[in-house]
Amino acid sequence: MWILTSSFASFIHAVQPEHLSKTVRHRSKRMILDSIGVGLVGSTTHVFDIALQYCRLYSSVAVSSVYGKAGVKLSPTLAAFTNGVATHSMDFDDTWHPATHPSGAVLPALLAASQMLPPSTKPNGMDFLLAFNVGLEVQGRLMHFSTEAHNIPKRFHPPSVVGTMGSAAATAKLLSLSTAQCAHALGIAASLAGAPMANAATQAKPLHIGNATRLGFEAALLAARGMEANPLILDDIPGCSGFSAFYRVYQPKPLSTPSDHHEFLLEKQDIAFKRFPAHLGMHWVVDAALSVRNLFINYAGSFSPSLIRTIVLKIPVSKYINRPFPSSEHQARHSFQFNACTALLDGEVGLSSFTESSIQRQELRELLDKVVVEHPEDNVANFDKMYGEVALLLHSGDFLTGKCDTFYGHWRKPLSKESLLKKFRSNASHVLPEDKIDTIITMVDNLENLSDSSQLACSL
Amino acid sequence: AWTITGNFANVIHGLNANHLTDQVIQRSKRMILDTLGVGLLGTNTEVCHKVTQYSKIYRSDISSTIWGHLDFRLPPLYAAFVNGVAVHSMDFDDTWHPATHPSGAVLPAVIALSEAFPQKKKISGLDLLLAFNVGIEVQGRLLRFSSEARNIPKRFHPPTVVGTMGSAAACAKLLALDQLQCKNALAIAASYAGAPLANAATQTKPLHVGNAAKHGLEAACLASQGLQGNKQILDMESGIGAFYTDYNPQTLPTLQSYPWLLDQQDVAIKHFPAHLGTHWVADAASSVRRKLVESNNLLPLDKIEKVILRVPEVKYVNRPSPTSEHEARHSFQFVACSALLDGSMSVQSFTTENIHRPALRELLCKTQLEHPPDNTPSFESLYCEVSVMLQDANMISDRCDTFYGHWRKPLKKEDLEKKFQSNASSILPAEATEGIIETVYNLEKVEDCSVLSTFLSGQSARALSEKLSFL
Repeated sequence: MWILTSSFASFIHAVQPEHLSKTVRHRSKRMILDSIGVGLVGSTTHVFDIALQYCRLYSSVAVSSVYGKAGVKLSPTLAAFTNGVATHSMDFDDTWHPATHPSGAVLPALLAASQMLPPSTKPNGMDFLLAFNVGLEVQGRLMHFSTEAHNIPKRFHPPSVVGTMGSAAATAKLLSLSTAQCAHALGIAASLAGAPMANAATQAKPLHIGNATRLGFEAALLAARGMEANPLILDDIPGCSGFSAFYRVYQPKPLSTPSDHHEFLLEKQDIAFKRFPAHLGMHWVVDAALSVRNLFINYAGSFSPSLIRTIVLKIPVSKYINRPFPSSEHQARHSFQFNACTALLDGEVGLSSFTESSIQRQELRELLDKVVVEHPEDNVANFDKMYGEVALLLHSGDFLTGKCDTFYGHWRKPLSKESLLKKFRSNASHVLPEDKIDTIITMVDNLENLSDSSQLACSL
Repeated sequence: AWTITGNFANVIHGLNANHLTDQVIQRSKRMILDTLGVGLLGTNTEVCHKVTQYSKIYRSDISSTIWGHLDFRLPPLYAAFVNGVAVHSMDFDDTWHPATHPSGAVLPAVIALSEAFPQKKKISGLDLLLAFNVGIEVQGRLLRFSSEARNIPKRFHPPTVVGTMGSAAACAKLLALDQLQCKNALAIAASYAGAPLANAATQTKPLHVGNAAKHGLEAACLASQGLQGNKQILDMESGIGAFYTDYNPQTLPTLQSYPWLLDQQDVAIKHFPAHLGTHWVADAASSVRRKLVESNNLLPLDKIEKVILRVPEVKYVNRPSPTSEHEARHSFQFVACSALLDGSMSVQSFTTENIHRPALRELLCKTQLEHPPDNTPSFESLYCEVSVMLQDANMISDRCDTFYGHWRKPLKKEDLEKKFQSNASSILPAEATEGIIETVYNLEKVEDCSVLSTFLSGQSARALSEKLSFL
């Protein structure tokens, strides 16, 4: 069944000039000629001018920092892209409800943008923090436009839909665009949004965040240069879809104009931080697995896999995270089975759980063989409501269960300041020296008082 | 008028630091810190290495031609983008059935890419022609995966869906990627695909084609660097299927005497820069005008009571009173009235002066649309009837089923060339325009297709005589 994509790839790869028929040559040459002519005359248009102006920015303007690469600078949107990819590369970044990865889509663009602005107009820390929150807020509000968004996604990967819009909004804010320009930034961004779910659990998934932050940034830059889009992009336009194109059910609602009392969504709904680099859903089964593992050790004296007949996972229905035998790190990060078994085997899940050798371990494969999956009706594919249950059915006939409703790091049980710092230090120490790590921690902690927010980007 | 979009813009613009509460500040700073750490850690990943390598390509020593410009060049990605925008900037580019603008998504990308190979590697005209056709073919095949695609679109603008994929395929071909890399190029491209239709008839629409070209090229480049995506991207509903409500993918025919779609189904080439649907209208309106004009060759405006257009129902081309050139190019009404007034449509029909002239506005006020149920919104079957009702109750009508330039009535060679000359001569010297015509007509024999790029930049033929080598 999975032969379609292959057939396309085969075709592209194998087709040769000899395969071109005369008619095809003739027709295609006509098309080429016409296309060139049309392009040439098109170079006299206003829209072309804007696009060109925008692109000329990049001739040799490498001003923005790249995470962990002191001395390397890239042009702003490409720096945003690269840093966005880095952020989502291991699925270690934050998750919100309704589901998306909000920060990775916004922060890299803001960092890159802050370095792009001339010294006289550098945004201060407060401006930066505000712009960041504008980016989050817009994402959250957009997700409330569709009931589809409440559950774990099936069609479009949310960061690629709302993340792009959030980045556009955040950079528009940082760049102090006018209201009209803000609207156009959203409009242009919509035309850059939307990646299908199928690339989740592949190496291409991190690009979703990379592109969200980069393309939203581009949209704002284009809007700043006068590019115009549909001013009704978020409204429901029957017969000609705007942003609604990405949803089957779409009920847009206005944002209250910020008088004195704008309540940011982040106020009511906190974020989940991950404790290990895998899809959020994994965190429930891991905590449940750890809990049953403890019971098992008490029962048997040590973790003895040979005593286990079956491992039952009670999980919500979600195809892209149900993988009995993942073969790559990307698949492993999106596998209930893998994460549960790793937790059982090792007593913890961390960075090293996803290395090639860890993934291929014989003992792990043996455990995976014992897994069966159940989808209780009350286990909804929704990060606010789901739970994870791991039951060990032993050869002896006994069974032990562990259940997790709320893992540590979930918004209902947020990471403590110490835990969050510990995660940061552990991560940053892979590429930065101690003193730089301390600097970043201090800068972020005192962000509101920073006079030049580009210092944050420079410190990376 | 109050809109949600406007409301969002107001809020984005109006929020200030005072609105941030302590909790929000605290939570968001936690998020910033965590994200930085996660990002730093992520720099050591394979995927990140690949994209960094990729992004570093954009130094100024690797660059491609911007059509019509000798004075500067841009990195290939942005050359593809800019030239792609140029191609669709006036809605003057080709249209296919099922509906998309196939060439603009592919040609700028392959030309830009052809200039980016290391010096020793020459790309022949035939390589370019083959890659181009691969890009067209893939688009056509993908369009046949959904019955939605048969009709004029409503949700996603087709060039942004299939165009991106076509560009990726074409670039993958030009780069001579292996099978696995081709698969990945398609997979990665899918994650860039898809822009909503609502930006049609705005200044952003041209970016749809520019971005399709650019992102397809990027996808192919990333694939060539080893980046991997979902190898079943075309098979799964959550792959390319995400852009359609019904999705039925089919395998391609075997390579033995491969049946290209372009062989069975030609494109339509536009006569004037506006949405294809308006071309039927222009034909019918011009014909009605011929019947109407008096000896002084003027349209008896004050005698016209009503103008009725019988067209298919296509919301985004139904604009009674367009105010910008972009809207005018997507307005049945505007084109009908322009054609009635002037006798024919041209590039000039869409200048600001012409859009706002009083005679036209007056005629627009008298224009209405009707949507006969048998007039299906498909470029294969639609028709247009223009009826002008005069004050004396006389009705002059005409109907157009197939306009000149449609695939059923393709432009003759002379007229295709005439369109090209008319377009190109405003930008390039005569030698360059002639050089392009020569080169394209003999494309399969050109040893080094960089001559095409050189002409496109405006360099004269004389300076290039050494480069030209036809068999």
